[in-house]
Amino acid sequence: MHFSKEVVKLRDVWVAYSGSDRPAMCNINLTVPLGKLVLITGPNGAGKTTLIETCLGLLKPYRGSAYLFGVDTRSWRIRHARRMCGFVPQDFMKPPFEAYTVRHVIRLGFAPYKSIFESLTEDEDRRIRRVSELLEIEDLLDRPIGTLSGGQQQRAVIARALVRKPRALFLDEPFSSLDREGRRLISRVVREYVRAEDASVIIVSHDVNPIIDYADIVVRMENGRIVSGEGYA
Amino acid sequence: MKVMLEFLGLALLAAVLSGNLCGAIGFYVQRLRITTLSFSVAHAALAGASIGLILNFDPVYSAMIVAVASALILGMIFARIEYGRELISMAVFSASSAVAIFAIYMSNVRVLATASIAVVLWGSLLAITVEKLILLLLTLFMFILYIIAYRIQIDSMLYDVKMAEAEGVNVQMHMLIMLFFAGLIISSSLRLTGGFLVFTLLYNPVAASFQISRKAHLQLLASSILGAASASFGLLVSYTLDWPVGATIAIVSSIILLSAYMMKVLVEAFRRRCLSRP
Ligand SMILES: Nc1ncnc2c1ncn2[C@@H]1O[C@H](COP(=O)(O)OP(=O)(O)OP(=O)(O)O)[C@@H](O)[C@H]1O
Ligand SMILES: [Mg+2]
Repeated sequence: MHFSKEVVKLRDVWVAYSGSDRPAMCNINLTVPLGKLVLITGPNGAGKTTLIETCLGLLKPYRGSAYLFGVDTRSWRIRHARRMCGFVPQDFMKPPFEAYTVRHVIRLGFAPYKSIFESLTEDEDRRIRRVSELLEIEDLLDRPIGTLSGGQQQRAVIARALVRKPRALFLDEPFSSLDREGRRLISRVVREYVRAEDASVIIVSHDVNPIIDYADIVVRMENGRIVSGEGYA
Repeated sequence: MKVMLEFLGLALLAAVLSGNLCGAIGFYVQRLRITTLSFSVAHAALAGASIGLILNFDPVYSAMIVAVASALILGMIFARIEYGRELISMAVFSASSAVAIFAIYMSNVRVLATASIAVVLWGSLLAITVEKLILLLLTLFMFILYIIAYRIQIDSMLYDVKMAEAEGVNVQMHMLIMLFFAGLIISSSLRLTGGFLVFTLLYNPVAASFQISRKAHLQLLASSILGAASASFGLLVSYTLDWPVGATIAIVSSIILLSAYMMKVLVEAFRRRCLSRP
């Protein structure tokens, strides 16, 4: 299958949540090429989460078009484009009774690549080890995820995204539960990932401090519109 | 006497299979949050069975056709809309129940005592034949095959549907397959419990299993076993006391659910007392 080198392309995109009488995002134009670190920022309710979920096709525009690796997010092929992406949602927290272990949660990141009856390979298990060492959660691998703190859970979900070796990594508020050390660690890991894999990372964060010095593109949103950094390209 | 025992054996086997399947699909339906949808499908099956009464068609098969079709159609509609799902479910539920009552009213009242109307209303041992047993076995075989073939993708959806979708798992296809099985299993369990009580086998075992364990695979196991236990034990009690089989199964599964809940409360209280000791 052929994929475009443009990770994200939004053309005059309008998105509304059903039941809401005004669009959550209007007239958005944005292009993200491969190999860039993009920071999307703005106050609460600006439409950042809406933007990132539109890029992945989890929300569909009612006007305009959204493309992920050149695939229209309305097309059935979007599934194949998504396989090249990692995603850390804003609401990653699981309740205390969630019994999936951290290792299990990370393993699930390989699910879309598996054909029927196929299991994980040893190489993939090694990758899980490596990434969890990188994110300093190797001691937590066999703990049920529900029993971890917010920051520990967030690291686990970031590990799941990274272990997939995505060409595009979408992180929605990845610093929200992390302490200062954690923020520094994640922004370093992300930076190095962009350089080493020639991948793109799209970070949504209302707090710009941990990452702004390293961002190639900074997009600022307010009230469902891009107020600066629009278009890019 | 010998014929009767053979017959009871057949019915018991069917009860174990049906209960097991209902418990298992109930687990997936619950975890994937398509419970209201399956509720509609169960009532569509009931409507289908009653239509079979009028058309002089085996109600189990007409139930199956209507249930599977409505499961697939509802599944496709639900994939396209975000809000108003509950509304559609409730409308389908009400309309199906109405169709069922109309059909029963229109079919000849004298049939009230026969096995085919018992399928629709309260379940019957007489409705169980070798042919239906083979159908159940086939369903079980296909379901197990599916679950094993796609275990990691299904597991990913059980953990977090949104993440699974964002990562490229074919969520829509798996939801449809689950609903297809729900339709199939519900309609093939209809003859045991009757159309109005089939969802007790779908929801009580899984609710009980949630009291027993927090681990997904243990919940699945417990739900299947409790489903089979409710159905077979209920059937035996109904046979011994000459009670309607569907209602007896519903009572047994409710008792199991309540006991599981009380056990959990007791265990937690005991644990807390141990913890608070110096
Ligand atoms: N499920 C929903 N239904 C209706 N409206 C919604 C929904 N989710 C978000 N909105 C609205 O869409 C707008 C954009 O929300 P969004 O979640 O994208 O903001 P955000 O920039 O991510 O905010 P935050 O910093 O709080 O995460 C807001 O006005 C919000 O009220
Ligand atoms: Mg947000």
